[in-house]
Amino acid sequence: MTTLKRHFGEQAGLGLFLLLSTVLLLVAVAAGTGIGEMSIPLDTTFFAVTNKFGWTGIELDPIHQSVIWDYRLSRALVAACCGAGLALCGAILQSLLRNALAEPYVLGVSAGASTGAVSIMILGFGSGAITLSAGAFVGAFASFIFVALLSDGARAGAGKTILAGVAASQLFNALTSYIVSTSGNAQQARDVMFWLLGSFGGVRWPEFQLALAVVVVGFLVCMYFAKALDAFAFGDDAAASLGIPVNAVRVILFAVTALLTATIVSMVGSIGFVGLVVPHAARFIVGPSHMRLLPTCLVSGAIFMVVADIVSRTILPQQVLPIGVVTALVGVPFFSVILYRSQRAK
Amino acid sequence: MFSVKSVSAMFGAMLPLALSLAPAQAAATVYPLKIDNCGVELIFEKAPERAVTLGQNSAEILLLLGVEDSMVGTAFWPSKVLPELAEANAKVKRLSQEIPTLESILAERPDFVAAQLAHLMGPESKVAKREDFANLGINSYVSPTLCTANHDTGDVHGARTELWSMNDLYLEIDQLSQIFDVADRGQALIADFKAREAALRARVSDETADLSYAFWFSSPSPEADAYLGGKNGSSGFIADLLGGHNVIQTEVEWPTVSWEGIMAANPDVIVVGEVALTRGWELDKAENKIAFLKADPAISQLEAVKQGRIVKMDAQAMNPTIRTLYGAEQIAAQLEELGLFK
Repeated sequence: MTTLKRHFGEQAGLGLFLLLSTVLLLVAVAAGTGIGEMSIPLDTTFFAVTNKFGWTGIELDPIHQSVIWDYRLSRALVAACCGAGLALCGAILQSLLRNALAEPYVLGVSAGASTGAVSIMILGFGSGAITLSAGAFVGAFASFIFVALLSDGARAGAGKTILAGVAASQLFNALTSYIVSTSGNAQQARDVMFWLLGSFGGVRWPEFQLALAVVVVGFLVCMYFAKALDAFAFGDDAAASLGIPVNAVRVILFAVTALLTATIVSMVGSIGFVGLVVPHAARFIVGPSHMRLLPTCLVSGAIFMVVADIVSRTILPQQVLPIGVVTALVGVPFFSVILYRSQRAK
Repeated sequence: MFSVKSVSAMFGAMLPLALSLAPAQAAATVYPLKIDNCGVELIFEKAPERAVTLGQNSAEILLLLGVEDSMVGTAFWPSKVLPELAEANAKVKRLSQEIPTLESILAERPDFVAAQLAHLMGPESKVAKREDFANLGINSYVSPTLCTANHDTGDVHGARTELWSMNDLYLEIDQLSQIFDVADRGQALIADFKAREAALRARVSDETADLSYAFWFSSPSPEADAYLGGKNGSSGFIADLLGGHNVIQTEVEWPTVSWEGIMAANPDVIVVGEVALTRGWELDKAENKIAFLKADPAISQLEAVKQGRIVKMDAQAMNPTIRTLYGAEQIAAQLEELGLFK
């Protein structure tokens, strides 16, 4: 009876927490839409959105209308999807590899994406027919396949998989450096850096549709395996003894994280810190059970990224800081507080 | 930086700009004006009144056309503005020395946006895409140098198989002058540039030595390999204009070359670039480059260094821009002093 009540109470608590977080996410997206370099009155911002939904038909300055709808809102929503996706990947990889330092780029995906992007940007593969994003996506997936082969389809164990990821990162980083140093110049190296450091500057509505689709599918797959992920915490043997097809689940989940990360990197560049830290923060809040952890990661990763993007756009006038700089600058103090409080709680 | 004489020689060459030339007779623009720009048809109902430029070259062309009163913003300045344009340029707001944001561009309520580089405006750009402006009824223009390059990402990327020439820039000047209804000034400017190009070529004769040039853009550090201008880029164009050739024979636009490689190539003249970027590379400064060349025990043994055949040039001239011609003149003036060019 008491366990049932506690269980029920926990579920209600989680529900309340997720509800509040979702409201907070909406507030953050609204703030992302309202805040920017151009000062646009709040009512204009509001009507620019409602106009597009067809709820109002108020005549607005077309530049205001476009900045709010095509630029800020789509950007805030893509940021939310990317934050959610990276946090989700981090949580999955930390559990699968049983390593607290695992993050979305641990499989070399980010390095592979760089190589792909640089091949297009500098070597001109595809003569302009292939976009930078497509090149980055191909590179990211190439790296994932390389890791999968090296680690024998991830059957070789967590430690070997991480080593294979390190090897892939080194290999692809070397390839990137090779291309930049043999065919690039200082300006190009800067362009490449700017592209890779991560920025939401280039995203519009089509990117949002893609990001949303990938994140939703990824999330559903991960939730389906949430119980299995709990079992992985006790080791592969323990999971196998519970009747979980360990290798199959691992390969599927690795593929999902690789797909998510490759999509995000190819869209906005590699953004560090979110995938590493948000899952840890979420664990401090809701505990290690994946049924609770994964939705929490999803929402808190989204909020974090939307806020980080607002900071990156507003901290320097008329110039954008790379989002990765901001995620680390905003994230480290925030994470320190959680780490400190969790130690005191013990 | 430069000797008084070379500076005055340089300015002497610049003075006959536009106005002093015989007035070119070009028809006033009839609006609506249709322009084909890299496969996009632009229609202008009237001359732009609020233009924003992305990239130094686009800004300098408009300033040379004297339409600064119709400009409301500029961005991305790797080098200092041409001295004679400084006053006009001061009237125009600088949105950012570096890469600007789309909002800061739109905040100026532009009716025309002209871009020099693909990463500032283009399908892969993180700043703006042409559709962003088209959706708002704002005409956008990209430098024709971008659409004649090997591939979409622009001519600063990748290799060139043919020697660069000023022709794309002349097309750009011509089109921009029509758009702003200053075709007279555009034709005068093109005539002036062509005359200056021809004047340099005319000084080349059978007796002119076929000098080999190394164009040193910059190096991240004294220990690092040097970024040089490649054979078919604007550096190669400058060498060709002066009757010589680029000592670097690779088609890569910006090869990175070791000092051993440069010594093996043994250039007759070393051109040191003056880079105005604020990235903190010591060797961006021409003076520091010269000091390095003279101090290094091995490199100082190069014939060009021993004989003092080192000339300075604004590094923006090594990017395919109008400044390329100015760079050629700058070198010619210094070579003349060295007795290497008549």
